[in-house]
Amino acid sequence: MRQTAAAVCLAVLAAASASAADMPSDEAGDADALSLADKAPSEKAAAQSWRVFGEGVLARSSFRNPSSSQDEGRASIDLRFDSTVAPTLRAVLSDRLDLVHRGEGVLPRADNVNTVREAYLSWHLTPDAITDVGRINLRYGAAFGYNPTDFFKADALRSIVSIDPVSLRENRQGTVVVQAQKLWTGSSLTATYSPRLGDSPNMSTFSLDFGATNPRNRWLLVGSHKFTEELNPQILLYGGEQTPTQVGMNLSGLVNTSTVAYLEVAAGRGRNLIDEAVASPASEHMQQRAAAGLTYTTSFNLSLTAEYEYNSAAPTRGQWDTFWGGGPGNVSAFLATAQMKQDLPVRDALFLYGFWKDVGIRSLDVSAFVRWDSQTHSREQWLETRYHWSKTEVALRWQQYSGAFTSVYGSVPQSRQLDLLLRLFL
Amino acid sequence: MYRMRTKRALLATLLIASLAVASGARGAPDAQAILAASDVVRNPSKPFGVVVTLIEYRNRKQTDANTLEVYSKAESAGGQYRSLIRFVSPPRDADKLMLKSGNDLWFFDPASKASIRLSPQQRLLGQAANGDVVTVNMAKDYQAELIGEEDVTDGERFSRHCYRLRLAEKSPDVTYDHIEMWIEIGTARPVKAHFYAESDRLLKTAYYRKFQPQLGRERPSEIVIIDGLDPSWVTVMRYSEYGWRDIPDSWLQRDYLPRFKPE
Repeated sequence: MRQTAAAVCLAVLAAASASAADMPSDEAGDADALSLADKAPSEKAAAQSWRVFGEGVLARSSFRNPSSSQDEGRASIDLRFDSTVAPTLRAVLSDRLDLVHRGEGVLPRADNVNTVREAYLSWHLTPDAITDVGRINLRYGAAFGYNPTDFFKADALRSIVSIDPVSLRENRQGTVVVQAQKLWTGSSLTATYSPRLGDSPNMSTFSLDFGATNPRNRWLLVGSHKFTEELNPQILLYGGEQTPTQVGMNLSGLVNTSTVAYLEVAAGRGRNLIDEAVASPASEHMQQRAAAGLTYTTSFNLSLTAEYEYNSAAPTRGQWDTFWGGGPGNVSAFLATAQMKQDLPVRDALFLYGFWKDVGIRSLDVSAFVRWDSQTHSREQWLETRYHWSKTEVALRWQQYSGAFTSVYGSVPQSRQLDLLLRLFL
Repeated sequence: MYRMRTKRALLATLLIASLAVASGARGAPDAQAILAASDVVRNPSKPFGVVVTLIEYRNRKQTDANTLEVYSKAESAGGQYRSLIRFVSPPRDADKLMLKSGNDLWFFDPASKASIRLSPQQRLLGQAANGDVVTVNMAKDYQAELIGEEDVTDGERFSRHCYRLRLAEKSPDVTYDHIEMWIEIGTARPVKAHFYAESDRLLKTAYYRKFQPQLGRERPSEIVIIDGLDPSWVTVMRYSEYGWRDIPDSWLQRDYLPRFKPE
């Protein structure tokens, strides 16, 4: 069949070249493409208010000290509703239920968590003045791996399904706020108030967990102005009850047509992570957090990000060694605190992230990252290969913590995890 | 005031184009005016919305399909279009957003709430460059030169008598280094275009076809894109549901992206 088609094409080309010397040689290919386009289906997808998918995961985790492994199965249902319910009123609901079942000998055997990520109403008072009420995933930050200006990230995670920064930003509960935004041409100002609604986190399955997301009264002001096409900084001011005022900035720009540079910084008084972990009443000091990086995209659609990350609240090598010597309880408390606060547990790190769309074949995507801790020389690594059809995705994921037993990432009990994932969009 | 300026600009463009076309009998027509006239055929003069469906084929087999809602508005100063784009399908991309204002390119994912600046090199839609999907006034970005007149076969296999233009980039930040474009004499309809890299490698061929009355004049409702290296890689871009839209300038910035929801 192909040979026949090729022969026909050659015949057409030969005839064409005989009759008109300047006729483009690709005309037969064009005619073939246009015939194909003639038969393209005419139906088009309509916008939907609902997006729902189910997900099943089989996972095997390996632990060290003592060496062991654990099997786990997870079934999840993930939904998002976003609709204009009245001419100027928008309603958003985003929820995820994770049902986890673990193998023999592991407690708890079942761990079911529902996360109400977002539930809010947004009202356009005028086309450029908007107010919101409800639980919103307020997330700011220009950086990719570590976001110092993501001020509402502490205690936002209820169920960690992947250590991929994209997943951590997505699968978390928002904060209950009253918020107003005013827009001008090239400028924006947002004022947010997050009231105290609870005392402490509540891990019962269907808890709204206000104690985690709204433990005290807090506020946030965010302003941005576009000075030029390349210069559009965003300034943040955050504070509240028992919350020292923090100032932050996000800035990004185009280096050339294939490279983006970004900088994210935050500064303010606070306790260091070790004092937080051991609940020490130590005094607060000025802390600085920063992430700066470059994203380069090749002509074959591979995007590579290199990011330098810094957290003055995290221990230096000497502080870590002393703290680690205090016993395993210290390390567990430190790692749990860093995870709960979603803060960088090392003083400085190099984060490399790659995303390659359509690797070799259409619809096969590969993404991976490595975070290298330059203080204790340990690593956090993650890789995902994902193939997708129009409504189905299959993924294989691998994550590993490497380093000496006395290092930061080497202290994580779970050294390795392998996941096989199936996602079905309804 | 803005509408008056837009109307005047449109009338001036049409007048220049008519003069250029009429002057064909007397002398060389103005290539830039011909290009501007073809921009007027492709692009509505006021802020508008349109649904774009992309169907992609590799080796005659459909490999992908995307639907986007695009809102476009010309800059009052430079005249180039700025666009807000919402992904409608496939489901995994639904509700993701893109803002393009020249090379100021932002991507927003409502799930992770991430507003990420993109480089023009980053493609979100397979074969189609981000610049292919959004509205572009080519006369603003490219300098046209008239190569001559010739008959070409259009996307519906009819012969059209066309101006053949060579377009050179005015600045290095546009999607293509240079373009060869065929514009029908008399109607200023774009018929066909070849898009080239700086190395003179043919990147894509585009056929503008299926002209239909939309927002006041006949406009192409379909563009067929054929890859320069692999002619079996074909994307059909279909335009439907045109409508005038009120798009305040204040919406065309990063901080509005989480708010954008097309009607």
